[in-house]
Amino acid sequence: MTNKIVLTYLFYLPLALGLTLYVARTLFRNARVFMLDIFKGKEDIALATNRLFEVGFYLLNVGYALLILKVDADHSDVFNSDQHVVETLASKLGGFALYLGGMLFLNLYLFFRGRRKSRQNMTPPTVPVVAAPAR
Amino acid sequence: MNLNLLSYAIFFPSMLLIAMGVARTCHRNGRVWMLRIFDNDAELVDAVNNVLLVGCYTVNIGYLALVTSAWTHIETWPQMLGMLSQRIAIILFSLAGLHYNNIAVLLIWSRIKHRVTTDAHRPSTTT
Repeated sequence: MTNKIVLTYLFYLPLALGLTLYVARTLFRNARVFMLDIFKGKEDIALATNRLFEVGFYLLNVGYALLILKVDADHSDVFNSDQHVVETLASKLGGFALYLGGMLFLNLYLFFRGRRKSRQNMTPPTVPVVAAPAR
Repeated sequence: MNLNLLSYAIFFPSMLLIAMGVARTCHRNGRVWMLRIFDNDAELVDAVNNVLLVGCYTVNIGYLALVTSAWTHIETWPQMLGMLSQRIAIILFSLAGLHYNNIAVLLIWSRIKHRVTTDAHRPSTTT
């Protein structure tokens, strides 16, 4: 029984971490365009911010992948067949992939939002600057 | 022979192929529409398109993996074939729904965008 659980972990860990790596790399390779847009072409700041967000993304998702790693098989000899291994792997990896997709779309939304905000700030403000209060 | 494992082995790879094929078709043919929407900014369109492709992959594959578990115990071959075709049908219908939804979003967004820009660029006659 224990061996099957360890087997599940051995399959789960590389797959989940590899998926995180693939998604994060693709996302942040393409996020460069957005960052350059947001920081109005200041390349050093844009790339640095991109890198910082990438590290944050890794921390968050690797943390979540490890958090849901544990297989609950406290009842003895329940978790003893290959079918259990396959089903547990499928449901855990599937749930994790769905979560990862959600995070990806959330990040994409935030990039679009940042880009829109920075575009709004670029146009001269239509609201007149409020005068300093008289002393 | 464990028929549950066999049907998982048939179901998951074949559905994976179909889902990835659909995602790649959307990626290839959605680009022109997105160029229309984002004013021909090719760099931005490619970035968004690639991120969407990966998002499509993760969500579809994640859902597939999620439903490749906890099937009822399969004992006979006819039962397996019936179960498989039912599950495959559900996946194909959901993919079709997502696909038409994608097309609708692209159509509506590009229509809104173009109405707004043509309104803005229309020469004003009130002088």
